[in-house]
Amino acid sequence: MRFARNLHLTGSRFVNRCKMATPVTAVLACALIAAGTAVCSYSGFGEYWRLFGLVCSVLGAVGVIWLGWYSLRLVEAITSIAQKIADSGSAERIENEKLNVIRYPLSIVKELTGTITQQLDSYSEHTAELEKHLEDLQIHFRLSQRQKSNTEAIIYSIRDAVIVIDESDRLSMANNAAARIFNFDLNNAQHKPIDELICNDQEDQARRQFVDFLLQGRRSKVRGARHEIVLNISESTEAKTFDCIVSCVYDHSEQVCGIVAVLHDITREKELSQMKNDFVSHVSHELKTPLASINAYSEMLLDDEAADEQMRKEFCSVIQNQAKRLNRLIEDILNISRIESGLIKIEKQPLSLTILIEEQYQMIKSYAEEKNIEVIRQKPIVFDQVYADKDMLSQVIVNLLSNAVKYTKSLGKVEVETQVNEIEKTVRLSVTDTGVGIPEDEVAHVFDKFYRVGANKSQAKGTGLGLNLVKQIIEKVHDGSVFVESKVGVGSTFGFELPLAAAVASAAS
Amino acid sequence: MTERKVLVVDDEIHIVHVVAIKLRNNGFKVISAENGAEAFQLACQEKPDIIVTDFQMPLMTGLQLVQKLRATEQTKDVPVIMLTARDFAVEDEQKENLRISEFISKPFSPKELLRSIEDVLYQRQLVTEKQ
Repeated sequence: MRFARNLHLTGSRFVNRCKMATPVTAVLACALIAAGTAVCSYSGFGEYWRLFGLVCSVLGAVGVIWLGWYSLRLVEAITSIAQKIADSGSAERIENEKLNVIRYPLSIVKELTGTITQQLDSYSEHTAELEKHLEDLQIHFRLSQRQKSNTEAIIYSIRDAVIVIDESDRLSMANNAAARIFNFDLNNAQHKPIDELICNDQEDQARRQFVDFLLQGRRSKVRGARHEIVLNISESTEAKTFDCIVSCVYDHSEQVCGIVAVLHDITREKELSQMKNDFVSHVSHELKTPLASINAYSEMLLDDEAADEQMRKEFCSVIQNQAKRLNRLIEDILNISRIESGLIKIEKQPLSLTILIEEQYQMIKSYAEEKNIEVIRQKPIVFDQVYADKDMLSQVIVNLLSNAVKYTKSLGKVEVETQVNEIEKTVRLSVTDTGVGIPEDEVAHVFDKFYRVGANKSQAKGTGLGLNLVKQIIEKVHDGSVFVESKVGVGSTFGFELPLAAAVASAAS
Repeated sequence: MTERKVLVVDDEIHIVHVVAIKLRNNGFKVISAENGAEAFQLACQEKPDIIVTDFQMPLMTGLQLVQKLRATEQTKDVPVIMLTARDFAVEDEQKENLRISEFISKPFSPKELLRSIEDVLYQRQLVTEKQ
């Protein structure tokens, strides 16, 4: 604006002076030409007047020619200046150049060029500032791009599924986990309607509910809402449970511009929770059963319902046995807890497995005989001594023996043997039964806490703790390993491997 | 008065034993079974006046036994009292559908069980007399 004003002022002065000089010269020249011509053409004048007229004409012509030349040079000068200004491209002062033009009105030209160059300087500075600003913006843009890429990389690598939809209910962003769960192509999913992407013409009620939940969440501008969804993932047949949390995305003007949903796989937590509930329910039942006997028989004694002294003694005996049974169950639960938390007191000593087997056989002998089950104890050739806690190892052996008898039908067979591996310096104890067997898909879980084989649950009572206790004692306390082999309808072999006492002793020394 | 017959079903032998003594001491005839299958057979053969059964048993649960009883012509109307040590309640709808007269939780009092049996049989008698 200032440039235009300055230019206008300078240009006006220049033009005004030119206006003054040029018309005067032009009028003079023309007057001379006209006078000269008139004098020459008037026959009344003498020769000298005609000569004078000719000279005036010539002078006039020269004046015109000079005017033309002057105008041309002016234009040349201005053109040259403009060219030099264009070529210089910087704040170089043009007036210092020796321009090959007439001196007058060079000062006007100087003023003009001065203004132009001044303005150009200003523009150059401004351009430099803008260039610097552009560079800063580019740097910021690159930084933002990198931050965006980093954020996207984080989101893509999260195990939980993340889905972001915009205000038009179209997919704005999703990570690999989401694409896997809902089975869509991440590369082609951007800006597709979310219900088309997720429901995908399927009749799945759960997917429909999830989409409705998302859309409802966006419309109600929810800050955070939860929903549990069970989905069948396409890559496996097992249904998985997801905990979905949705939250609206707000822009700078506090308007909802979308919704973000995070789906966390809680299948395992649900399973564990269910197992825990089952366990609590089952343990409660197991604890209440002996308590029921204790309570009932105590009442009978108090109400003098026993017919005679023998019956009274029988009642007292039942109360006592049931109290012991209750105690055993509580001990089992506590032992497992203690072993897991590392609080149990361990007293290891050299022990013969064969002797322990014999001792524990006596505990289950009557139970086996009731069911007409033969329990064969093989005697090893080599001395099978291990370095272990006696109470714990006894518990392990009695658990394995009682399980074998429990899950074997009448007239079945249980075989116990130990094998020493002198090269590996280990001993292997195995208990083989001709019982119901365990399905292939459940074999891997039999040592899990609370786990009971589904098909066998109705076959016999149990807390699901016995084998877990075996595993904890052998592996955690004695650095051994447990194993199981089984076939449904044929039977099972449960056992463990422990280092020989000699090996433990030599390792210690 | 005809001796009233009670079928006691529980896989815990001590429970069966104590309930049998209490009932016999109070003029009832007692037959017993250790599992649902055995109980169903006895119910069909002996036609007890009332059945006292445990909820949780191997092979066939108490509920499954009652379902079978209600589905069989000769046992569909026999009153049932259920003993349970489970910490969850059976749904009311299920109780109504299976027409289980009463649920008694373990540990239970033999005196109270006797009272419940007598109440149920009394109610049944009133209904029969009205008809």
